[in-house]
Amino acid sequence: MKIGIEVHVQLNTKSKLFCSCSNLGSDEPNSRTCATCLGHPGSKPALNKEAFEKAIKVAIALGCKINNKTFFSRKSYFYPDLAKNFQISQYEIPVGLDGKFEGIGIRRLHLEEDPAALIHKGNTCLIDYNRSGTPLIEIVTEPDFKSPNDVRLFLRKMITMLTYLDVYYRKEESTLKADANISVHGERVEIKNINGLKEIERALEYEAKRQETELQEQQETRGWDSEKGKTYSMRVKESEDDYGYIFEPDLPLFEISKELLEKLKKEIPELGADKSKRYRKDYKLDEQTAEVISNDINLAELYEYTIEKGIKAELAAKWLRRDLLGFLSYDDKELKDVSLNQDSIVDLLKLIQENKITDEVARKLLLDLIKEDFDVKKRVKKEKLEIIFDEGILEKACREVIKENSDAVEKVKKGDEKVLNFLMGHVMKKTKGVGRPDVIIRILKRLI
Amino acid sequence: MNVEEYVTGVRKGEISVKENIKKILNEAKKINKEYNYFNVISDDALTKAEEVEKNRKGKLAGLPISVKDCVCVKGMESRAGSLILKGYKPVINATVIERLEKEGAIIIGKTSQDEFGFGSFSTNTDNIPKNPLDKMRSCGGSSGGAAGFTRKTENVHAAIAESTGGSIACPASFCGVAGLTPTYGVVSRYGLIDYANSLDKIGIIGKNVKDTKLVFDVIKGKDERDSTSVDADFKDSKVKKIAVIKESLNVDKEIKEIVLSKVGKVEQVSLPLVSKYALSCYYLISMSEASTNLAKYCGLRYGESLELNGNFNEYFSKVRSKFFTKESKRRIILGTFARMSGFRDAYYLRAMKLRTLIIEEYKKLFREYDILVSPTMPIVAPKFSDIKKLSPMENYMMDILTVGPNLAGLPHLSVNIGTKDKMPVGLMLIGDHFAEEKLTVKGEELENRD
Repeated sequence: MKIGIEVHVQLNTKSKLFCSCSNLGSDEPNSRTCATCLGHPGSKPALNKEAFEKAIKVAIALGCKINNKTFFSRKSYFYPDLAKNFQISQYEIPVGLDGKFEGIGIRRLHLEEDPAALIHKGNTCLIDYNRSGTPLIEIVTEPDFKSPNDVRLFLRKMITMLTYLDVYYRKEESTLKADANISVHGERVEIKNINGLKEIERALEYEAKRQETELQEQQETRGWDSEKGKTYSMRVKESEDDYGYIFEPDLPLFEISKELLEKLKKEIPELGADKSKRYRKDYKLDEQTAEVISNDINLAELYEYTIEKGIKAELAAKWLRRDLLGFLSYDDKELKDVSLNQDSIVDLLKLIQENKITDEVARKLLLDLIKEDFDVKKRVKKEKLEIIFDEGILEKACREVIKENSDAVEKVKKGDEKVLNFLMGHVMKKTKGVGRPDVIIRILKRLI
Repeated sequence: MNVEEYVTGVRKGEISVKENIKKILNEAKKINKEYNYFNVISDDALTKAEEVEKNRKGKLAGLPISVKDCVCVKGMESRAGSLILKGYKPVINATVIERLEKEGAIIIGKTSQDEFGFGSFSTNTDNIPKNPLDKMRSCGGSSGGAAGFTRKTENVHAAIAESTGGSIACPASFCGVAGLTPTYGVVSRYGLIDYANSLDKIGIIGKNVKDTKLVFDVIKGKDERDSTSVDADFKDSKVKKIAVIKESLNVDKEIKEIVLSKVGKVEQVSLPLVSKYALSCYYLISMSEASTNLAKYCGLRYGESLELNGNFNEYFSKVRSKFFTKESKRRIILGTFARMSGFRDAYYLRAMKLRTLIIEEYKKLFREYDILVSPTMPIVAPKFSDIKKLSPMENYMMDILTVGPNLAGLPHLSVNIGTKDKMPVGLMLIGDHFAEEKLTVKGEELENRD
């Protein structure tokens, strides 16, 4: 099985690719438009430098050769979502060529404008030009994938990379669009316009199975019906599409000087894959933990900050991965969705590291910190949340619990040691969790 | 009175802007009934005149300017001579319009032209301008209305025109006025309705060279909104050596004699590549680009539309079939053909490579000569009845002398130097990139003055 993909990524620039209209902002249809992105007579494109530089950065991160000169071309086809009935794209010399990322060959990366959005309503079709002119990068891979699952893993890593570069506006997963080429035994099938990571994998899995049973005798373009979970034939390809490319005569050649390239390389942060490797080597994290932390740039940043502030790498990793991510994913959130004060997290982890609070107390404080920031040290002092080493206080609480739970005590006496945990829980509650569990169990055993 | 004298008069308070604008508007309306120079005559020029009258400032204070239809004027119907854009009022002002108005110029209307600039006689349109010296003859094109009115008006006036392959020089020659086509990129194209973007140049037609130069100085210079626009140093005005282009003398005998006697005894130089290939090279590139530029006119967002039925392909085909002229359709089909895969290498790409060689051929000569001279047009303004007999190829042949400098982005100036059968004969001065000063200095020396 051979699979190759073309991924379209919308860049998160301030303004659109060829005009100064805002790229992000109001969803009121056609509110972010001007003569240029509406394709009015006399309007001219002017290249957005931010988009250009972001495209180069992605090309660098994908290991592409960066052309020292690049230019734009007109790709002509008539479609109601295209303001000019041609798209300004790149053809002969794109920003980047011949890269390799996660073992997959990257054929090319180019920059182009997104068309408008078509909104079908019953018998009518409305056009929203807010999207017209949004900067897109198209990344074309070699047919190096051996399975749909390979594609999913690759795209996950690519999304992580894009997030690290801060070029990607991840409103929802569907902002990632792809066309995929897949051939199992016979001719190649192109599946057009698949939205989102899960759908890409689903479509490819369906198509792989279909081609197992039906021999593909001709090249074909198929669509993906997400609701039915099936691909369907759009047209049989007899020749390549002819877009009648010409050089875009309203835009000059763009040079990518050595200086610019060096500047952009410096701006690229250490990427997820490199971080993961380093975490395993320097911090001795296991593979999975290292991957999980490095996959989210914000989490990785927080992790490295806590270490810098003196928290042990292993302890920080455990708390961030198990507890912080656990709480967040329970609410279906990511770290970037909450405003967490890094210093408060450091304070909290320090208290844990110095054995001043119990895990139970720490978890509760962490949950509160996710909701709202506060001074961790003061709260612990004020609410007397430090670990109690005075066994007298714990013993008093244990005695009360034994008195209130005679049934449970009987069970323990009969040898059911599990019930001890139940009693310990009650002691914890009475003492706001400030006692160490092992100490409480020891006292309970002694008293019973 | 020329533009300079007029503007001085306005600034000194000796000339009433309002009275003068009223006068030229009335004249334009009157002439237009017979000569078809305007697609639109402004209805707010008088209001603007009152404003200028109050402060009397600017390098072009109170100067009436007509604008070729393809240059967008905000709120004023701008349809590039095409019916498909009928009723279209631009939402933007072209940069040249902004610059002109900032210096006190007053836009009096939009002048007639071949649809989108496709033609040499201004006959490929619904409003065909007539030659001011003989109504049976053409003004030339595509900036026909601009040149015709400039010659015909009795008032001080300058015209904003546009050239892709000779559309300023040709009508200037046929109407006996001065036409300055600047270096490609020196005047912003922002707001120009595109014909062929890599060739389009906004320029000026005036009663004399000095008038065109004054307006040029106001509209030139880099504009952020046109990425192909540039600033340049125009200071060098010394003309040491000129030469006549040998191949360009293969024209009407009388025209040849007039040109040669005007320039006196100078060397003749040869441009073999230009004379052999420029015309086909020009038409391949300009039609390829034009066929993409015209794609946006599909009856969807602006301009003419029809009742929506059928699918999108059927709909826009119907709109385009109905509202484009035959010449536009011809250029769309030829231009699309030249860039189709399988033919693209042989036509479009080869023409682009040839263009570079043609530029080099000119550049080599400019190392030795400051100005190259040729007749502007091989004939004088033809009769409409003769134009009708021409095949499309014979039509395209009319541009044989003007496409060279247009293809190479070189500035050129057509000046009136005499008449043949009472019709004007134009001489064309071609300079190196950014040599506009040299051209206007030499042009003033050679042009006939009334």
